[in-house]
Amino acid sequence: MKKQRCSEKINLFDLLSEEIVFIILDCLNTNPFDKKSFSLVCKSFYITESKHRKKLKPLRQEHLPAVLIRYSNTTHLDLSLCPRINDHSLFAISKITSFTLQSIDLSRSWGFSSSGLLSLTLSCKNLKEIDISNAVSLKDAGAAALAEAKNLEKLWMGRCKMVTDMGVGCIAVGCKNLKLISLKWCLGVGDLGVGLIAVKCKEIRSLDLSYLPITNKCLPSILKLQHLEDLILEGCFGIDDCSLAALKHGCKSLKALDMSSCQNISHLGLSSLTSSIGGLQQLTLAHGSPVTLSIANGLKKLSMLQSIKLDGSVVTRAGLKAIGDWCVSLKELSLSKCDGVTDEGLSYVATKHRDLRKLDITCCRKISDVSITHVTSSCTGLTSLRMESCTLVPREAFVLIGQRCRFLEELDLTDNEIDDEGLKSISRCSKLSVLKLGICLNITGEGLAHVGMCCSKLKELDLYRCVGITDSGILTIACGCPDLEMINIAYLKDITDSSLLSLSKCLRLNTFESRGCPLITSLGLAAIAVGCKQLIKLDIKWCHNINDVGMLPLAHFSQNLRQINLSYTSVTDVGLLSLASISCLQNMTILHLKGLSLNGLAAALLACGGITKVKLQAAFKQLLPQPLIDHLQARGCVFQWRNKAELDPKSWKLLLEDTVP
Amino acid sequence: MDLKEGLRAETWAKSSLAENEMSKRISSNNPCFTDFNSQQYQQKWEDPSILDYDIRINPAFQEFNQPPQNQSSLPCDPTNQIKNPFQMNENLQTNKMQDWDPKAMLNNLSFLEQKIHELQDLVHLIVGRRSQILGRPDELVAQQQQLITADLTSIIVQLISTAGSLLPSMKHTLSAATPSMGQLGQFGGVPFPPGAGLSDSIQVQNSCAKKVSNQSNPIDLVGNSGTQQNHAVEEHDLKDEDDADDGEQLPPGSYEILQLEKEEILAPHTHFCTICGKGFKRDANLRMHMRGHGDEYKTPAALAKPHKESSSEPMLIKRYSCPYAGCKRNKDHKKFQPLKTILCVKNHYKRTHCDKSYVCSRCNTKKFSVIADLKTHEKHCGKDKWLCSCGTTFSRKDKLFGHIALFQGHTPAIPLDETIKGLAGPSDRREGNEATSKIGSTNFNFGSSVPNGTGVSDMDAKGES
Repeated sequence: MKKQRCSEKINLFDLLSEEIVFIILDCLNTNPFDKKSFSLVCKSFYITESKHRKKLKPLRQEHLPAVLIRYSNTTHLDLSLCPRINDHSLFAISKITSFTLQSIDLSRSWGFSSSGLLSLTLSCKNLKEIDISNAVSLKDAGAAALAEAKNLEKLWMGRCKMVTDMGVGCIAVGCKNLKLISLKWCLGVGDLGVGLIAVKCKEIRSLDLSYLPITNKCLPSILKLQHLEDLILEGCFGIDDCSLAALKHGCKSLKALDMSSCQNISHLGLSSLTSSIGGLQQLTLAHGSPVTLSIANGLKKLSMLQSIKLDGSVVTRAGLKAIGDWCVSLKELSLSKCDGVTDEGLSYVATKHRDLRKLDITCCRKISDVSITHVTSSCTGLTSLRMESCTLVPREAFVLIGQRCRFLEELDLTDNEIDDEGLKSISRCSKLSVLKLGICLNITGEGLAHVGMCCSKLKELDLYRCVGITDSGILTIACGCPDLEMINIAYLKDITDSSLLSLSKCLRLNTFESRGCPLITSLGLAAIAVGCKQLIKLDIKWCHNINDVGMLPLAHFSQNLRQINLSYTSVTDVGLLSLASISCLQNMTILHLKGLSLNGLAAALLACGGITKVKLQAAFKQLLPQPLIDHLQARGCVFQWRNKAELDPKSWKLLLEDTVP
Repeated sequence: MDLKEGLRAETWAKSSLAENEMSKRISSNNPCFTDFNSQQYQQKWEDPSILDYDIRINPAFQEFNQPPQNQSSLPCDPTNQIKNPFQMNENLQTNKMQDWDPKAMLNNLSFLEQKIHELQDLVHLIVGRRSQILGRPDELVAQQQQLITADLTSIIVQLISTAGSLLPSMKHTLSAATPSMGQLGQFGGVPFPPGAGLSDSIQVQNSCAKKVSNQSNPIDLVGNSGTQQNHAVEEHDLKDEDDADDGEQLPPGSYEILQLEKEEILAPHTHFCTICGKGFKRDANLRMHMRGHGDEYKTPAALAKPHKESSSEPMLIKRYSCPYAGCKRNKDHKKFQPLKTILCVKNHYKRTHCDKSYVCSRCNTKKFSVIADLKTHEKHCGKDKWLCSCGTTFSRKDKLFGHIALFQGHTPAIPLDETIKGLAGPSDRREGNEATSKIGSTNFNFGSSVPNGTGVSDMDAKGES
């Protein structure tokens, strides 16, 4: 779109075609404010930006019509930040975006009825994706309304508990092109509804039937689906071995199968499974029957298998050995919280599956350095290692991880014996982006300095209760990891404002948790607020020295803040009221604020237009006027009343020191 | 069959005991019959809404055995009346065994004539007395009516028995002469032999006969009474659908085609007690009933199933034709498909060519011509909450989903308000229209077949409604 102006100055942007400007705009992804700044330059930029934007995530339903008119090319509408969407809003959406809208997310919204949905599905003929999860009051009439979206390809309706077979039947008949449907927790849907989906929607690729009261009856028709790739049957207690025997003829296309928590399936069912779906790549059998030799042998025939998850199951030594003997080479193995994982078994598996990329041995408390030695020596290509609470692994073993597994990107060492030597070794993993060191009591700033110097791609760092860490450690992280997005320094009692000042250089920081850092003051918080404009989550519970002075810059600069925990701080009415100016703010925890008055609280709550969840002391329930509570609830706010006694933050630590040797 | 017989027998044995119970049930249905046991049998005769042929005759039969005490006041000797039919029936019984005897027939007819004369005299007497004692208590009137009823009953029974005795003998002589067979088969509607000066009693007689043949309501409701007493037996009957023999392919000519006339088809009972006149649908039930008439009927021989007459020579297979011209089940139809049994004929005729006069009391929409169909429907009526977009209702959800899986474009219909039950779908209404379109023709047929006594029956019907 060229804009010819009468002025003599030639705007260079006028020479660019709209498509080129769009390509430039495509590059402005990193900071949501960039596009806003762009649109504020001039009218033509404003119009260009309006045309360019395809995805909208509005905050308030009140502005929906205006926003939709401005962004006329919206194809994707994410309403997950609007807790309340009434039928009028849906009417407006259906009217304005009738030709463009392809995708809508209503998973966090409530207040609409089936008539609103009907107008949406009737007029938006191009609608391909609808997420209506958590619509717990949606009934069959609503499902019938959804069925009018004839071109629908993806439908998420988890936790739509009131929908029955009849509603799902309507969807099955109406939405012939469905490729994905999630019916998780739709407890009213049974064999008949699911069976009809399988009969009518031949294009289905992905089917989530978790926790549905389905039995063997609907399985044969599901397995006749020609394109089915992903089938989730988590917690389907009605399915047993007999039904898996029916799998024999079915489903060559199936690639991923989740049968977690299916208690009625034994090795017999699983072995019949293997003979029927040879192409399976991912198998999840979490919280299932014990992984014995027979099960492991039964799964041997899955020649394409790449990933298996056995979380929470009992694993026998023989079973683990048999897994090691499979001829396939696994890429992913999850043994999280599996009872019975021993050094012997794990070592055997590790030596056989040398291509392992992801290994989860969370809470395998019996393994020691033997396992780690074998894992690190054979699986050198590991990208993800999760070994929270492997308490028998000595500190020397962690050196091996750093030495041998250079490609690690994700490392969870929460609650382990790792020390500075280990950290120094781990710092060689230059691709590391997620590092969790919570409750690692042996590490100090020295070790962390190595990480900060070498792991420049670090995005997440969890230092929860690493009591040895001081300002110097944080400083190296803040300097060496500019991409840091999330940091947890909770209960680091020695941390002061200087750490926060240094962290304020991490411009992408969006989650900051400094719970229980008594030395932090409003000054440090102000620095964070000014520097980290993308801050979304903030937890400053137990920071006694933070008061209203810290809230004012926060309210002014952190316009993206969505969640804040202010419990046990020195914030008063003024600070709370100032926070109310953050339009995004949705979630507040305000327990035990000594300086908070009833009127201040009421005013702040009223002023927070977008608030969806407030945690308050139960005492306020009686004090706050009921009409006010009703009004806030009608706006979409959920109150959580807490009645916990005031706790001393040190009590937990004392407890910890007792249990950890 | 053994089971059925047993059930029937039991039912019959109980029926006299259950009399009070039955009357209670009826009275609860119809408040004007609270005085059922006060011996107002005449009224019962004329009231089709009692719907129970068995019961209607049953008290009359009792009355024969235990005449009311105050009957002596009447001029006519009741014992004579009781005896005569008894002897007569014995004659008939023997006649049945032999070939048809014209002499015996003549005897029967003259006996009937005599009985009608007696009855005429009795009625004359009553008429005379009535003029004198106007304003007498109703009790006497009731007794008189009772007496006349008893007489009429025995006359009718004998008449039917006489006509019926012809049937088995004729079977042998006729090979494929179905039309004559049909004529003989009209024993339900055989015109009463006209006697001089008998107009009074004839009219009454005809009105009764017409009630039997003309009104499909009471006929089928007789079946209803049976259903009420023993459901299990009726369930068996229902299985014998008239289309059940579709798979069978008999070469034409390999079987004997019999065609019953519609009056015969619609007659409630085909087996009548020669003593008391009670009608039965099954011979086995009649045999059980006969036990009540004396020890001679209790012998194993009497209770046993009658031997098939020609067990030695191969029986020609019998198939049945529907009397309705143009019907596929009619033997003149190009693609004639015979019906297998008499029950098939009955059900087919009622379902296909009769008015669907039984309306479901629950939904007021579904109509049936066979009472058993109504009973079956009523069992499930109101449970049809599974509705398809095409209007079809299903009592079971899996049936609805099977239907939807089968047809393109059909979708589950969700009631606007889940609490309010949706009324019947369009398909039901359609059925109703079909039914009403048939009413005219059937009524016309009936009217033409029984020209006499229409006035009386109309009055009855009006009185009922």
